[in-house]
Amino acid sequence: MSLIIDGLLAILAIYLALQSLLAPRLTQSVFLFFAFGLALALAWIRLAAVDVAITEAAIAAGFLGVLFLDALRDFAPRIPAKNEAVQKQYSKSQTKSLFLPRLTLWAGLGLFLLIALEAVWKIPEGGGLTAAAGTLLPESGVENPVTAVLLNFRAYDTWLEMGVILIGLLAVFAAGGKMAYRKPGVASQDPLLRQVILFFTPVLFLFGAFLLYIGKTGPGGAFQAGVLWGAIGILLHLGGWPFIALMPRWLGQLLLTVGLGFFLVLGFLFMAAGGALFEYPPAYAGILILIIETLAAISIAAALSAIFALLNQIGEEADEIESTT
Amino acid sequence: MDVFFIIVIVFLLLNIVMGLFRVWRGPAVADRLLTTQLFGTTGMAILMVLAGYLGELTLLNVAITFNVLAILLVISLVKVWKNKKGETK
Amino acid sequence: MTIVELITVIFLVVGCFFFLAGTLGVLRFPDLFSRLHALTKADNLGLGFIAAGMALHIASPWAALKILLIWLFTLLASSSTCYLIAHFQKEQDQLKNRKEGE
Repeated sequence: MSLIIDGLLAILAIYLALQSLLAPRLTQSVFLFFAFGLALALAWIRLAAVDVAITEAAIAAGFLGVLFLDALRDFAPRIPAKNEAVQKQYSKSQTKSLFLPRLTLWAGLGLFLLIALEAVWKIPEGGGLTAAAGTLLPESGVENPVTAVLLNFRAYDTWLEMGVILIGLLAVFAAGGKMAYRKPGVASQDPLLRQVILFFTPVLFLFGAFLLYIGKTGPGGAFQAGVLWGAIGILLHLGGWPFIALMPRWLGQLLLTVGLGFFLVLGFLFMAAGGALFEYPPAYAGILILIIETLAAISIAAALSAIFALLNQIGEEADEIESTT
Repeated sequence: MDVFFIIVIVFLLLNIVMGLFRVWRGPAVADRLLTTQLFGTTGMAILMVLAGYLGELTLLNVAITFNVLAILLVISLVKVWKNKKGETK
Repeated sequence: MTIVELITVIFLVVGCFFFLAGTLGVLRFPDLFSRLHALTKADNLGLGFIAAGMALHIASPWAALKILLIWLFTLLASSSTCYLIAHFQKEQDQLKNRKEGE
């Protein structure tokens, strides 16, 4: 019976993925992508991966949505919507010049599908490494196998992932957002908007902290909490309190790197004491993981809100230049 | 009881499928956004029913994640697009 | 079927009805402001009834508290959403009219 739900979700997810790539208008693509995020989150739940579902919900519904809307705003003026002829011509010229990229994309997609099929074919009997992770769980200091794998058994991967977010921020710096535009924001004039932002800020903070703490025993953890706390930065920036851009340089740098740095220092400290990289003593593992997760969540939150704030400022700056010329 | 829950979930999923038409048509950005909000609420309802059906209460945390972030898109649309001169499409 | 199950079924069916009404309204109503009206019906009543039904079915105080919080936040977010989108659309329309008048 529950096969109906699974089948419907699978069809919906694949259909939305295709449509959000192939839709003729950029706006359609972006909003279909939001629906795709919802379908994907539900699909992850049906696959019994609640951790991934929470991350998908937070990233797709929150962070990516905001980034996409901002990007959509920056793209909107290039093609005047009223002028149908210009738009048709534009899309025509696009299809011609896009032949080679499309060919590459399809070839890459085919290759990826082949690799995915091979990987599915080769899945070992008995669910891979689940049993191995389960037997070592008491030594990891946490009760949730996902957190144990992410922050203890495979801590090196997680450490690199946090580096990837930081590199994304560096790319935004390189694209022109050097924190140069330290404009003090104007607090929003709309009283309701201000109250909503002020109400949801503590709610987001508390729920993020809850997810961080619950990560020890159930689905939740640093990345989910980081995205929720990052949403606070984004909300405050939108409400006219751009504290990320206004905070002293050293404080911003400290917040951005504290997670990565503490993780690294701790890893090498235990290596110097005679263990492997990121090998914590089992007695302190629980509390160490909680500290690492908190600092990681702070860094992720700072990085995500800085990415949004800088991209938004770049877009507004470009608009001002365009409107004056 | 389980069969009933499955029917409710499938019904709500079909609601989302129907709503896709409005996302496709538009015409304004605000239309598409409000349909996305409706999807978010429908998704929350599906998550609640799934939590009861599977007996897994952690699904409620996923629903709260959608819930507290739902307002973010609207505020970003309102603030980011505010001073955009010109079209509404 | 116990009485609790019966109430759950009734609540879920009523909730589904409001979701259907909201979706049909979003699809069929002629302009944005009336679509907003349909949206808030689904948000408030549809989710409210389904939340009540599931809180009864799960019957754990902690889960019931979470479900109540979800519903309260949705009430707050959906009414603010309605106001913000309507205000935004009005401003956009005015901008457009002014541009056409020039």
